[in-house]
Amino acid sequence: MNWVLDFYNYRIVEQYLGRFAEGLENTLIAAAVSLGAAVILGTMLALCRMSSRAILWRPAAGYAAFILATPLLVQIYLIYYGLPALIPAAGRWSELTLGIIALSLHNAAYMGEIVRGGIASVPRGQIEGGKAVGMSYLQRLRYIVLPQAFANTLPPLLGQTAVLIKDTSLLSIIAVFDFLSAGLLLNSERVRPNESFLTIALGYLAIYVVMLSLSWAVKRWLAGPAWNVGA
Amino acid sequence: MGGQTLARRSGVERGGVAVQHYLDVMVSILPFLWTGFVQTFWISLVAIAAGSVLGFLIGVVRSQRVPLLHQLFGLYIHVLRGTPFLVQLYVFYFVMPNTGIEALQWSSETAAFVSLSVYTSSYVAEIVMAAIDAVPKGQWEAATALGLRRLPILGLVVLPQALKLAVPPMSGVYVNIIKNTAILSVIGISELTRQGEISIMRFPRDVLFIYGAIALVYFVYCYPVLRFTRWAERKVGGTRVVNLD
Repeated sequence: MNWVLDFYNYRIVEQYLGRFAEGLENTLIAAAVSLGAAVILGTMLALCRMSSRAILWRPAAGYAAFILATPLLVQIYLIYYGLPALIPAAGRWSELTLGIIALSLHNAAYMGEIVRGGIASVPRGQIEGGKAVGMSYLQRLRYIVLPQAFANTLPPLLGQTAVLIKDTSLLSIIAVFDFLSAGLLLNSERVRPNESFLTIALGYLAIYVVMLSLSWAVKRWLAGPAWNVGA
Repeated sequence: MGGQTLARRSGVERGGVAVQHYLDVMVSILPFLWTGFVQTFWISLVAIAAGSVLGFLIGVVRSQRVPLLHQLFGLYIHVLRGTPFLVQLYVFYFVMPNTGIEALQWSSETAAFVSLSVYTSSYVAEIVMAAIDAVPKGQWEAATALGLRRLPILGLVVLPQALKLAVPPMSGVYVNIIKNTAILSVIGISELTRQGEISIMRFPRDVLFIYGAIALVYFVYCYPVLRFTRWAERKVGGTRVVNLD
């Protein structure tokens, strides 16, 4: 039994359970809030991107290109150091708030691509049919396009959510007390890398397993042409 | 006092001063950015090469559905895709040396290289397997009918077709790997982001400008690859073989 304690002393982990829970809470808050914001922003981006007006789609395309071609870490730094320079009030916001803003802006571009793919998968005739019965742009969006796009969007959206949860770990670099930070704290106080980093890895794996089973459940729920054509 | 004289100057002059200032900063950080870019370029290239070879082998083995190996490598892929790269980096950097095995006492460069390659391999393996699976079954059957054995079929018939399908998602992964090299800065690899942090110590007031310059360098490096991905996607037929979360 001794060699187990040498390699992985779970009693140390038990002492830090409170900190791990605290970190996990922040991780989940950051993931949930930025997921919601990213989906909303992403839908707007996708709509701008698909517009025929250059003033709408050009900035949207440029934004997406910038986000997709630069590292998330650099974007987080840009928001963390840059936003207070642009908006003085942002200097008083917490690291978590700034981190959530960075994650939302980052994921909005990815969500935009996903939503765009979903909307593009709705056959052209559906929109024309809506026009023929006299629906306005918003009505067509609400009753025809978005419900169909939703089914094609959900599976890749869940995949991106799994990535988003993993990406929250980068917030530990700008001093947000997330799940990874709890492990870093344990390591810096006790100098026990196994207990800290393996616990963290297992925690993220557990979240991943939940996300994986969720996406399987959704796959089964949507089972039908929508799933087989999309993604 | 300097601020007061500055405030009294006309707007145009002040604008000129600002431009001059940013030019000065740019000139003095340029050598740092260049060293950082070279480092980023090499580490991403080496990790992509090593990770692709490893991932290719795993993908081919997995596509053959050998009972135990298939599940074992499946677990490998899930573990690597289920944990953040930062955590993997910390595990390779902190936990491996802690095992006490002499061969695992890695320098930060080795830890960075190994973790990035292993991470790459998990994505490449998934793509290669999906691409092999996407080659129609009839190709296997026709080749079997011609009297070929499993390995020649794989090498001469299936892989040439599969690799074509694998090009677009593969280059998408490469963009991801290049971007992930930024994370290596946390264990002190002197790549682009780290060089930027060093420059910021010299010009603490120009944080935003320096990070902007760094973002621009990454953009110049990644955007062509991204465009290539789109182009290849259209060329291959637009079918996404794999869902690249």
